[in-house]
Amino acid sequence: MKIELIEKIEGEAFLDVSCRQGKVRDAYVRFPHYRGIEKILVGRDPLDALVINPRVCGICGHAHLQATVRTLEKLAGFEPNEKVKKIREITRFCEMVQNHIKWFYLVVFDRLGLTYDFRTVHVMIQKINMLAAIFSGQWPHSSYALPGGVTCDPSQLEILQAKRLVQSVREHFVLLVGAFDIKNLSKDLKRLYDRLEERDLLYTGKSLDRFITFGSDSYVQSSKILHGKVRPAKLHNIREFGQEKSHAKGVTYKGKFYETGPLARTMLRGDLFVKQLHRRYKDSITTRIFARIYEVGTLLKKIDEHLRTIDISEPSYTPLEIPDGETMSAIEAARGSLIHKVCIEKGKIAEYVIITPTQWNLSNAKNGESSIIKKALIGAQCEATDIIFRSFDICSVCTTH
Amino acid sequence: MARISKEERKRQIMDTALRLFSKEGFFEVTIADIAKEMKMSAGNIYNYFSSKDALAKELILYISKYLGNQIRQINMQPLSAKEKIKQIVELYFKTAKERPELIEYFLRIYLSNREVFKDGCEGMICVSPFVTEIMIFFEEGVRSGELRDQDFFSAFGLFMGYLGGMVFLMGEGMLPNDIEFYTDEIAENIYRALKNET
Amino acid sequence: MRPKVIWLQGVTCNGNSHSFVNLPDIEDCLRRYDWLYHPVLPSSCTLDELSDKECDILVLEGGLKPGWRKGEFDLEKLFLRLAKRAKKVVAVGSCAVYGGVFREYDENITGVLFSGAQKTKHYKSLAQKTVNIPGCPAHPEWIAFALDAERVKLDTYNRPKELYAYTVHSGCMRNEYFEWKVDAEQFGTKEGCLYYRQGCQGPFTHGSCNKILWNETASKTRVGTPCFGCTEPDFPKRDLFATKTYMGIPATMPLGVPKRAYLTITGIAKSFHIPRLHKRLFDED
Repeated sequence: MKIELIEKIEGEAFLDVSCRQGKVRDAYVRFPHYRGIEKILVGRDPLDALVINPRVCGICGHAHLQATVRTLEKLAGFEPNEKVKKIREITRFCEMVQNHIKWFYLVVFDRLGLTYDFRTVHVMIQKINMLAAIFSGQWPHSSYALPGGVTCDPSQLEILQAKRLVQSVREHFVLLVGAFDIKNLSKDLKRLYDRLEERDLLYTGKSLDRFITFGSDSYVQSSKILHGKVRPAKLHNIREFGQEKSHAKGVTYKGKFYETGPLARTMLRGDLFVKQLHRRYKDSITTRIFARIYEVGTLLKKIDEHLRTIDISEPSYTPLEIPDGETMSAIEAARGSLIHKVCIEKGKIAEYVIITPTQWNLSNAKNGESSIIKKALIGAQCEATDIIFRSFDICSVCTTH
Repeated sequence: MARISKEERKRQIMDTALRLFSKEGFFEVTIADIAKEMKMSAGNIYNYFSSKDALAKELILYISKYLGNQIRQINMQPLSAKEKIKQIVELYFKTAKERPELIEYFLRIYLSNREVFKDGCEGMICVSPFVTEIMIFFEEGVRSGELRDQDFFSAFGLFMGYLGGMVFLMGEGMLPNDIEFYTDEIAENIYRALKNET
Repeated sequence: MRPKVIWLQGVTCNGNSHSFVNLPDIEDCLRRYDWLYHPVLPSSCTLDELSDKECDILVLEGGLKPGWRKGEFDLEKLFLRLAKRAKKVVAVGSCAVYGGVFREYDENITGVLFSGAQKTKHYKSLAQKTVNIPGCPAHPEWIAFALDAERVKLDTYNRPKELYAYTVHSGCMRNEYFEWKVDAEQFGTKEGCLYYRQGCQGPFTHGSCNKILWNETASKTRVGTPCFGCTEPDFPKRDLFATKTYMGIPATMPLGVPKRAYLTITGIAKSFHIPRLHKRLFDED
């Protein structure tokens, strides 16, 4: 048995692997920490969760904020107007874009020993975060969305600034990665592909080929793929379970494990580029890695669309009372579906539960059902465990909230 | 006449004006009447106040400062809100009795002739020294948990309306007893109305 | 020789690491120092290799908690060993400075020098060389300043005065509304001050958020979000989206302003109804 410390994954995790003849025979993931966010919330005013919850995670705080907002709005039976929806999607998509770019270069390229244009990568990260901050005040963290709307009241000048930023990031992005044309990869996409091929990694890391997405927005609809069939996904079928020696809980849908994240989203959307890769490489690290970077282009386009169509004369906020009750809702975060569940009694939070995307992807096997990470690792070359693990873009801090 | 400072002379004019306003009514009394009472020329009075309205405004500020300073003394003492209420009621009634012209001016002239004060005495400007101290009294009472949290004006109206009403009854000669006779009961009533029940 | 830097993480959300990545021209900062470890940026060592390393500047992000493991190490022991030999310790973010949000769950989580507002057992040995950069997260420019700065004036919480002598209120776009006591009626508008109802802590929170803008462009209050006081030892307080008042008077006064002075000014300012400040900013005339 070998214990690997996997670091720089928004914190750390331990991977216990046993190898035989160079191949992984068994694998178990442990998260050593717990920070008690759910406990901190108990007894507080529901709106305090808007400040506490982003602190679950330094890289996807906006997603945690919006999951909180949507859960509280669901409790109040409130649907925001188009302007509010667009502003929230713009900031959340910005957060996803910066995440994917960081992961693609600072993690994947770094691990595979590929060089990259750090300056351009950094400019993209800085600009996309600046775009978010026009609406959110700052990134990371901030609590600019609340039940009933958003706190900002953007002017045409700010929309114009945002349009310039997204345009600039799109241009940089194309210059770095080239076109998403499977027959004609170029630039960084080609360099990545070649490296995976050189190292015989193209077909590695195949998992259960089951995908799930619970968030619904203008980009993706809540649904799942099992045995190639697309069906709606229902939140009430989710179950969490405790895992030995780990502070992270496992999670299943109707007793089965599913992969969430960009690969799931692009498969459910039916994006041609990812579908073509999937036909050939199934849910291997190749498809998983390319799906995540492919999503950047689509999200940037969405941001641009929203900026062009937003009607800033609509109100930013509608006062809203949060009633007592219990509900859950989901939102798409960079790494997949993020689920928040709240119970409010006498105007205070009585219980709060957070289920993160990494919990879906890194659950350990249970009751004879193989899990996403386990299936991806078993049978792989032992040296490949690190890159397989990282292909899921693990977030340790989220998972150990 | 002994030489006195300009400030002191100004005070004397204000005291005389208050007395005359209280006795004859605000609109009846002219600058000339005040001058006559003080054995000064009207022109000399204009060296101190540019108009009767200007004098009227200075008077309300003067009264507000007079009461404000005394409530401030009460606020600075380490007393419970209950004890402070009693002292404020005492102060108010004592002033109403000893210097009725001050309270009358506030109730009968300032509050009922808003048009005189509309320029330069907007809102709380001229009564700010007094209202500020009442605010501090309330704020500290609520902060310590002794008084119930509520809108400032709900509490302020209850407190000041009650005291004003009593002074009005006194002025009309309708109170069977000396006003100070009512201090304890009224302080108790105000405290009960404002105190924190929980 | 470039100063060696190790950026160590304790009980954290990684927010400061990512905040730091936003620094414009970060390449300069990467060149200027020899980065042995950073959780996100390129650096030369793995966690395991830190056991026998030394550094000139030790950055801590996140709180210290007894028994917290950092890979194979005990976090606090590793931190103290590195801190002892470092020339400077920079505590980045409110968790490293005071214990922060996670202290709400476990009081054993502390900052380097402070546990909430109380001094820790490390205060005596480390106060001389520690610069505290609280904030949730800390602003990248503040962090870069702390890495670079020598002999800067610090306040009682070891925060550089140059960054924390201001309040978040300084430079707020809504200052005129504060001056004339015009409160925001609700969220989602450009108009009105957020101090009276929406819980804004800007007037009594130390920080230069409205002087050194976030992401070069904004701040919480500039997008209508109240300041939550994240640079202070009592962050996060409770009921963060409402102003605590006693009979309508804000419970916490602007920094250093006596209540009597504040109420006097308020009474007077409120008396003048300034029509311009009661209209929508972009309303047609």
